Amino acid sequence: MKFCVCIKQVPDVTAPMHTGRMVLNAYDASAVEEALVLTEAHGGEIDLILVGPESASETIRKALAMGATRALHLRTSADTHFDSAAVSELLAKHLTGHEYDVIATGKQAQDTDAGLTGAMLAERLGLPYATNAVGLAREPGSLVVTRQGDVGEEVIALPFPCLVTCSNDMNDPRIPKLKGIMQAKRKPVDTIDIDPAISGTATTRVLGFEPMPGRDPGMLLDGEPEEMAHALRQKLVEEARVL
Amino acid sequence: MGTILTYIAIQDGKVKRSSLEVLSRCHALAKACGHRLEAVVIHPEAASYVEEVRNYGPDHIYTISSPIFRRHLNTPLIGALASVIKYAEPQLLAFASTESVKDVLGALGVRVGAAVLPDVASFDLVDGGADALRPVMAAKMMARTQASGTCVLVSVRSGSYEAIPAPGEATVEEFPYDFDAGTLRQTLRDVVSATGGAVDLSEARIVVAAGRGVKDDKAKGLVEELASLLGAAIGASRAVVETGQFPATSQIGQTGKVVSPDLYIGVGISGAIQHVAGMSNSRIIVAINKDPDAPIFNLATYGLVGDLYKILPPLIAELKQTV
Repeated sequence: MKFCVCIKQVPDVTAPMHTGRMVLNAYDASAVEEALVLTEAHGGEIDLILVGPESASETIRKALAMGATRALHLRTSADTHFDSAAVSELLAKHLTGHEYDVIATGKQAQDTDAGLTGAMLAERLGLPYATNAVGLAREPGSLVVTRQGDVGEEVIALPFPCLVTCSNDMNDPRIPKLKGIMQAKRKPVDTIDIDPAISGTATTRVLGFEPMPGRDPGMLLDGEPEEMAHALRQKLVEEARVL
Repeated sequence: MGTILTYIAIQDGKVKRSSLEVLSRCHALAKACGHRLEAVVIHPEAASYVEEVRNYGPDHIYTISSPIFRRHLNTPLIGALASVIKYAEPQLLAFASTESVKDVLGALGVRVGAAVLPDVASFDLVDGGADALRPVMAAKMMARTQASGTCVLVSVRSGSYEAIPAPGEATVEEFPYDFDAGTLRQTLRDVVSATGGAVDLSEARIVVAAGRGVKDDKAKGLVEELASLLGAAIGASRAVVETGQFPATSQIGQTGKVVSPDLYIGVGISGAIQHVAGMSNSRIIVAINKDPDAPIFNLATYGLVGDLYKILPPLIAELKQTV
């Protein structure tokens, strides 16, 4: 199976404060992991594409260390402004005429939480697609996707070539071992510098950031469990008036 | 005069309240800007939902009733919405942000050449497009985002607005959309429904959420008893969904459902950032956890530090007297 996984480097959002640490987007890590599971079972290769600055090359090496074959770094400069529309257009340009069976992405990026790029890319490439996959399986001629829908799980068979966006509920991405890290250093990474004028294809822009709406300070209830239970009931009924 | 269009989602035989929240917001915007308000219902029995939609003030309602829409499929939904957009030429098409909408939003934006503002907490029409505030970085902050263009697609997090009835005289039109199922490249093999008519988590007024502290059937039973007593929907953290104790449809968080209940009770929930991203908009937050350092206590309106096995039984007994 020939896979192409589109990956992104994002800030580590699991820390409460921004530490400056950058990581492979968790949803993309799941996409890489699942591609590895399927190619280990059925044979094949995994190409990576990353859109991002020079400093994102360490994330490319991480995904190569997990076991991907090669990578294309679409290297952006600091003054380039992107949104999902611009990124998907750039990716589509480089994927036109591709011969992949499956193009996989994470379902959203952990910094923007936009969740648009995968489906936009599928539309631009004219590919059948499924999003929010929690399971992938290969049958002759089809990728069987289990996705998390509104009422439950939906099982969809997609013909090749297709595109799928992945939930991090799908798997636990492997942590590269030393051998993989060493091998990654020698895996081919092509770099193409992207013209900042590409910002012109963006249709949205971020004007600024604001804090989340604040909450009134809360209180801890004291005492034995029975006392806490009684106090809580009183608070909920009389003070908060929510029951 | 321009047009604002609202997509009305149907689930488990009901109009989703989150769609009515969005319709109410669009009603207010239409009134403020002097625009026409339209709504679109896409379902084999779309006509049966028209009366309810009418109560929220659209000027016009499109119904699309092809049987292909019995189950969610992205291809025909994108096609149907693109056709309505081409016909109605709205400045704005607004959706409640559900999994089905997330499945089509980006592709639809490209299909019709519209800018997209996904999963917003608030939105407004502005000159040249639309403006929104949307949570980013696992809902640690809000990004003020602007979309430019003659048509903007917006999806709205549930609970961001109130559904406010505004009864009116909407005209209704069955919009012709024929989808040749033979052109469908994907095959929907199965839908394993996990909701079965239970309280829709993303629309619930009261939520009881189970976290890592809910380790066994006894604890799960206590959670279920509490929820049943309060008429609450049951939510879960990723940890207990992964163990299989709770279904994936009950997962609350950055990846999962967004809830905005009047009352959220977290049982054994630590308050990890990714979970909080899905419930921080709850009006009253109660946290029960034996770890006094659990981050949830920074967020809770009422915090109870203690063992859930010791706290839940007397709490259930107390609440039985109330409800």
